[in-house]
Amino acid sequence: MKEFNVINSRVPRVDARAKVTGDARYTADLSMPNMLYGALLQSPHAHAKILNIDTSAAKKLIGVKEVVTAKEASPIKFGLSPARYDEMMFCMEKVRYVGDEIAAVAAVDPDTAMEAISLIKVDYEELPAYFNIFDAMKEGAMLIHDDYPGNINAEVHQEFGNVEEAFKQCDYIRTDKFVNKKQDGAFIEPQACLANYDMDGNLILYSSTQAPHYVQRILSMVLNVPIGKVRVVKPYVGGGFGPKASASTLELTACFLSMKTGRPVKMVFNREQVFMHSRARHQFFHELTTGVKKDGTLVALKNTCYLDGGAYSSFGIATIYYAGSLLGAPYKLPNMKYDGYRVCTNTPTCGAQRGHGGVAARAAWEQQLDIIAEELKMDPVEFRLKNIMQRGDVTCNDFNMSSLGMKECLEAVRDGSEWGKKKGKLPKGKGIGVACGFFVSGAGYPIYRSDTFHSTAMIKLSEDGGTADLYTASAEIGQGSDTILSMIAAEAMGIRYENVKIHSGDTDFGVDLGAYSSRQTLMSGHAVKMAGEDVKRQVLGVLSNTLKIPIEDMDIKDGFIIFKKGNVDFSGLRSYYIKEHRGWTDQPAGDKLTFKEAARIAYLEKGVVVGGGAYKPGELGGKYKGATVGTSPAYGCSAQVVEVTVDMETGKITVDNMTDAHDCGFAINRTNVEGQMQGSLSMGLGEALFEEVKFDPNGKVANATLGEYRIPTALDMPNVKTIIVESDEPNGPFGAKEVGEGAIMPTIPAILNAVYDAVGVRINELPITSERIFMALKDKEKK
Amino acid sequence: MLLLPKFDYYEPREMSEALKLMSKMKTSAKIIAGGTDVLVNMKKGLISPKSLVNVARISELSDVEPSNGTISIGSGLIVEKLTEFDIIKKKLPILFKAARVLGSPLVRNRATIGGNIVTARPAADLPPALLAVDAKLKLVGAKSSREVSLDKFFIGPGQTVIKPTEILSRIIIKELPPFTGGDYIKLGHRNALEIAIVAVASRITLDSPDGVIKEARIILSAVAPKAIHAVSAEKALKGEKPTAKLFEKVAKLAAGDCAPITDIRGGAEYRRAMVAALTKKTLMNALNEAKGK
Repeated sequence: MKEFNVINSRVPRVDARAKVTGDARYTADLSMPNMLYGALLQSPHAHAKILNIDTSAAKKLIGVKEVVTAKEASPIKFGLSPARYDEMMFCMEKVRYVGDEIAAVAAVDPDTAMEAISLIKVDYEELPAYFNIFDAMKEGAMLIHDDYPGNINAEVHQEFGNVEEAFKQCDYIRTDKFVNKKQDGAFIEPQACLANYDMDGNLILYSSTQAPHYVQRILSMVLNVPIGKVRVVKPYVGGGFGPKASASTLELTACFLSMKTGRPVKMVFNREQVFMHSRARHQFFHELTTGVKKDGTLVALKNTCYLDGGAYSSFGIATIYYAGSLLGAPYKLPNMKYDGYRVCTNTPTCGAQRGHGGVAARAAWEQQLDIIAEELKMDPVEFRLKNIMQRGDVTCNDFNMSSLGMKECLEAVRDGSEWGKKKGKLPKGKGIGVACGFFVSGAGYPIYRSDTFHSTAMIKLSEDGGTADLYTASAEIGQGSDTILSMIAAEAMGIRYENVKIHSGDTDFGVDLGAYSSRQTLMSGHAVKMAGEDVKRQVLGVLSNTLKIPIEDMDIKDGFIIFKKGNVDFSGLRSYYIKEHRGWTDQPAGDKLTFKEAARIAYLEKGVVVGGGAYKPGELGGKYKGATVGTSPAYGCSAQVVEVTVDMETGKITVDNMTDAHDCGFAINRTNVEGQMQGSLSMGLGEALFEEVKFDPNGKVANATLGEYRIPTALDMPNVKTIIVESDEPNGPFGAKEVGEGAIMPTIPAILNAVYDAVGVRINELPITSERIFMALKDKEKK
Repeated sequence: MLLLPKFDYYEPREMSEALKLMSKMKTSAKIIAGGTDVLVNMKKGLISPKSLVNVARISELSDVEPSNGTISIGSGLIVEKLTEFDIIKKKLPILFKAARVLGSPLVRNRATIGGNIVTARPAADLPPALLAVDAKLKLVGAKSSREVSLDKFFIGPGQTVIKPTEILSRIIIKELPPFTGGDYIKLGHRNALEIAIVAVASRITLDSPDGVIKEARIILSAVAPKAIHAVSAEKALKGEKPTAKLFEKVAKLAAGDCAPITDIRGGAEYRRAMVAALTKKTLMNALNEAKGK
């Protein structure tokens, strides 16, 4: 067992005090002298030609400083994947969903900006609008984008092994369909930004974003500002879950208005705008055919998926790949075929959300596996264990499970939930269900083609040696990365957690692709660890010269210098430090040489003590088309057991207990790992039972509030037993890998399987509302 | 962000002052107490009163007064406080139950009992319970005051018989006879912060612990433009000996007594079925309470 001083503990979050006391400033809290307020004009129609825009009345309103439309704005298209840049700052010829941006205003206060928006007159010619993929794909349907024939935005066709041949070897084959609903990220903080373009041509954007790096690139590209002059700063962020992982019209508009007016411009979404902007979970229509041998060996899977992508591409090209590539594992499956179609509709644009692309597929498949286990008269846990992958296994689509505690997770939840005592033995109306899942620990490739480092880090020691300033461009969005990276830095240097001061979320601090694909602990963590080790080496180097002791005979632990070969007389060094340090209060004492003293000596010798680290994954994965999506340096995995009670008279589901085991490789902060597990479970529970974005007949979001779009409350969450499994990932810093997204994978299917166990009906459509259960029970009664 | 429109604001300390303001400004003013309804609707642009008259500082509106076999509740009492009074818990447990499931702790700390009545929302939580115990409302004007039965108060969604110059001052409930029991069940998606898909309040009074049903009220909520009586179901209970079989039959009648619609919260067919399910459940619980179990 390795010994650590900081990591693997439960130290409090670095931002706990600021957040608990309300001291933490979020973007919407910021203001600048002379600041203007921006507002957007958004389309009331789902699909319409823009015939004319008259901004004259808005421009005349007192207090209005600027009004812009597509005529004034950059015509450069942007988006997420360079292969599908299909968005513009403002609509040029037509609008594609209710909420599409048409114009913007900058004014002296929010009321004036809103009033000016209401004075902009737009003449539209309404076009046929499609609110579901079936209408959008009909022959003769009008194209939403000229570039996407048949309104098919993207197609993926992959086959690993030979599925048709493999089905011939199967004893049992079954096909099931599954559909989820469009989600909203439902983060507490709506998107907000504040832009300031100064007279020297420097553009600073403060934004509630998950990915300052990508925002910086898009701002530079669309607004034609040299990238070196664009700085994106991320203040405290109140959640993201995926939708905040790309540049938006809100951010571009604030910058553009600041460039036009020469004044700072602030823009904030209201909750309805959050729903319209969306970029959250797609709607997936899966059809899965799975073949097995009668002994329970999984042989082949055929997966067909249609994705409702909404109006634009956003993250969709990655989503469509993930909807295929995240099946198979964590089970040994030699044959897998996937056909995916992402379809455009006149609804808000879908993108990435926790468990990107794989959550609906996982729910569909884990439910189907349960049905198959029942058909084969096998216990669902035994059936899964029979096919389980282990450390070192490689999937048919070339994902290398360099560590995988899947078996350990499954056994842990089986034992932790007392599965054996409950499965098949519960009274009617009570049920127990199990499911597994896995997820990437950081996308193996950036979203644009490049050899860029994925994360860099820099650590600078203070003059007195007492503080290590850690600079990283990583994005703390509530998930805890600032805490994790501070802990890694402290451990790598051998100093105490409280002596690390982290500065993050700023493109001036380095390169970091951001908080998405569960990448920061592994990738930013690597860079920070390297920087910390660099600093440690430098300090010990100077000490070695001063004390004439070889470096390898020394170490730094818990803020003290360790002399491996016994005591060393450092009294000269200490008196020198005390002399240097006179007038200050915190003089060193005791019989051990402190890191602070050593670092001060290093400073006096070198002037600048800075350590650096940079990480990018090595050569990974397969060479087939699309191999870049889903390929990762490591994979996290988890298993869950859920127990439910179903009220047979109302159909209402109560989730009584959840037992969750997650393999995060190595827990840097145990409390934070459990927090991520609990958060994933809560989000999965909401998606399973309540959440659905609904539309009115004109394509407008009908429940664009957190009153009518229901995320779980504290009273809806059961007690959760969290079990941390540590498989020591060789590609992770200190053996760590993801927990932020993978933990959501088994939640929905575990609930589905528990509901079936309780009442004997299979639900193939989310959310599993009490009404849906009740109707299914009634149908079953009729049969 | 959503912004409040501009408005004039008054904060009278005396009832007489509030009434004077209302008789002067009439429909151009709106009364506000907790603001959980008024402010939300103003932000959404659904209403834009020229003035707001806040009655939350009028102390006489925030008490509970038991006297001569009645319980009189000030309309300005916040919902959370309502659940803290022993007399409510003991003498009006059905109202206590309804108050406990209204909104969330945050909402319950702002919303008032009066506000939950006068806004006349079809799925409001307190009116069904209050209808089940035959509550009366005291409506005060500058010159006169009147008492109106809650049964005669609601007209439709957002509409009541209260005049723009009147203020709901008290909710008056006669102490319930012995061998009375009641229950309120709200079916929502979540366990808090919910607007009912269907809610039912039932109350029965027996003539003796093992006797027949002397009086019965079944109130159905969220299945009509306002909370309604399950008329035929109530009739079928009167004079009958309470049994599970009777409740089963009555539950079916209740389902026929309402006309639910399909909306964002649930389908009509499901709602009708839930009226039956909740009617049965609330009657069973009411019976147990009436028998002192």
